Amino acid sequence: MKAAAEREPRFPAWLGSPRMIAACSVVVGIGLWQLGYEALARTRYFKAYAIHHFLSSPLQVVQAFGELYRSGELLRHSYFSFLEFAYGFLLAIAVGIPVGLLMATVKKINYYLDPWVSCLYATPLVALAPVIIVWFGLGILPNSLVVFLGAVFPILLNTYTGIKSVKQNLIEVVRAFGGSRLQLFFKVMIPDATPAIITGIRLAVGRAVISVVVAELFGAEAGLGFMVYFYSQRFLPGPVFVGIVVLVVFGIVSFLALEKVQGWLSPWYAHQLRRAAHGMEVEQP
Amino acid sequence: METPASKLVVQNLRKSFRSQRSEGSMQVFEGVSFSVQPSEFISLVGPSGCGKTTFLRILDGLIPHDDGEILLDGKTVIQPGPDKGFVFQDSSLLPWRTVMDNIILGLELQGVDKRESKKKAERYIALVGLAGFEQHYPHELSGGMQQRVNLARALIVDPQVLLMDEPFASLDAQTREIMQAELLKMWNQTKKTVIFVTHQIDEAIFLSDRVVVFSARPAKIREIVKVGIPRPRSLTVKRSKEFLDLADHVWSIIQDEVLKSMGREREEGVR
Repeated sequence: MKAAAEREPRFPAWLGSPRMIAACSVVVGIGLWQLGYEALARTRYFKAYAIHHFLSSPLQVVQAFGELYRSGELLRHSYFSFLEFAYGFLLAIAVGIPVGLLMATVKKINYYLDPWVSCLYATPLVALAPVIIVWFGLGILPNSLVVFLGAVFPILLNTYTGIKSVKQNLIEVVRAFGGSRLQLFFKVMIPDATPAIITGIRLAVGRAVISVVVAELFGAEAGLGFMVYFYSQRFLPGPVFVGIVVLVVFGIVSFLALEKVQGWLSPWYAHQLRRAAHGMEVEQP
Repeated sequence: METPASKLVVQNLRKSFRSQRSEGSMQVFEGVSFSVQPSEFISLVGPSGCGKTTFLRILDGLIPHDDGEILLDGKTVIQPGPDKGFVFQDSSLLPWRTVMDNIILGLELQGVDKRESKKKAERYIALVGLAGFEQHYPHELSGGMQQRVNLARALIVDPQVLLMDEPFASLDAQTREIMQAELLKMWNQTKKTVIFVTHQIDEAIFLSDRVVVFSARPAKIREIVKVGIPRPRSLTVKRSKEFLDLADHVWSIIQDEVLKSMGREREEGVR
C-alpha cells in the first residue's frame, strides 16, 4: 500500500494532459507578448518611432474588444462577415457535393467539367475577387460569391476522390448479392465516401474564412475584413488584432465542430484514424 | 457425370485473360468439368496462383467466362444473385453497419421488409454464435467473429449453393481450427451445398466430401479425391492414418504441379 502511495505523481494527472500543455503554451505565449510590449514601451525607441501605431499589447487588444463590442461595431461587422460566410459556404456544399458525385459516377460529365474545375481551382482567388466585385458591386451577395468560389473546390474534389476510392471489395459484396447500381450508390458509395466529403468540408472552412477577408479587402462597407483594413489604414493596431482574433476563433471553432460531426457520422473512420495514429492494432475483444 | 439430380454442373469451362504485357492472352482454365451433388461439401485446392479464387468468382457470375457452361439447378448462371451465397476472403463487412445490419444486407437488397429480415437474422446470429453482438460494429469484433458475420450474411439469403473463398485464411491457427469445426456443425444443420476454396490441404480434407485438385496454370482438374472419413468428424480426425494418407496424396499432386510450373518458368526465363 505504501509503495503504491509513493508511486503517485506529485502533480495531479490532468496537469500533464495534452490539452493542459497546449493551454499553457498559449498562455505563456500571450504573456511573453505582453512582457515584450511593456519592455519595449520603456525604451526611448517607442516614442521615437511611434510604435503604438503598429503594435499593441494583449491587454490593449482586450480593451479594444470591449470598446468595439459596447459600440455595437464588432457585432455589426461580425454579422455581415458571418452572412457572407454562411451563404457562400452553404452554396459551396450544395453545389460541391452533387457536382463531385456526378463527376465521379458519370464519365461524360467528368470529361466536360474537368478542365473547368482544374482551371478555376488553379486560379488565385485574390486575382478573381476584384473582378467579381467590379461585376456585381459591393454587398453581401458578391462577397458570398467569392466565398463560394474559395470553398467549393475542396468539397467537390474530396467528394470526387471519396467516391472514386470506394473499396472494391465492398462494391463486389453488393454485386454478389445482386444489388442494383442505385443500391450500390446509396448503400456503399455514399457512406464510404462520407468521411472524405466531410474532410473536404473541413478544409473548405479555412478557405472560406480567407475568402471572406479577401472579398472585403477589395470592396465592402462592413465586415471583419473591412474592419481590419479600415483600422490598419488609421494606424490603430488594437481593433485590427480584434478582427484577426475573432476570425481565427471562428475558424477554429467551425473546424472542431465539423470534426465532431465527422466522428458522429462515421465512427468507424475515427477508429481507423486512431489506429493509424497509434500505428498498431487497437485491442480487440 | 451430370445426372439430373446434380446441384451444380460445370461443363468444359474455359477462361483466358488478356495479357497486359504482350499481345495475346493468358489461358487460365482450359476445359474444367465437374458436378456437385445436393448438400455436398466440395473443396478446391491447387498450387498458388492457379486461379481457384477466379474460378469461384466465375461460378458466382462476378466474372464472365469465355466458353463452357455453368448450371445451377439446371439453369445457366449468368450473373450474381441471391441463389448463390458468397463468403469473401477478407470479411468485407460494411464498416458503418452493425452486425445485425450487415447480416440483413442481402435481404435488404432484395427488398425484404426490415422487421421480417431482423426476425430471420436472429436465427442466423444464433447459428454462427454471435448472440449479444447484434449492435456491435465490425471494428469492434475479432477476425474470427467478423468471418462469422460474413458467413451469416451469406446464409440468410438461403442460397442454393454457398461459395466460400478462403474464408479462414486470415485467421490465426487456433481460431481457424475452431471455425472449421463450427462450419461443419452449421453445414450439418443447414445442409447447404458448399464449394470451398482453400490453400490448406488439411482444411480441405477435414471439411469435404470430395477435394478437387487443380493443376498449375492453365488449370485443369488433376484429380478429384473422395474423402471417405465418416461424419460427424471432430478435430481429432486430423491425426488419423486415413486422414494423413489423404493429405499426403493431395500434397504430392500439388507438389508435382508446383515443380512442373517452376520448371516451365525456368525455361521461359532462359528464353
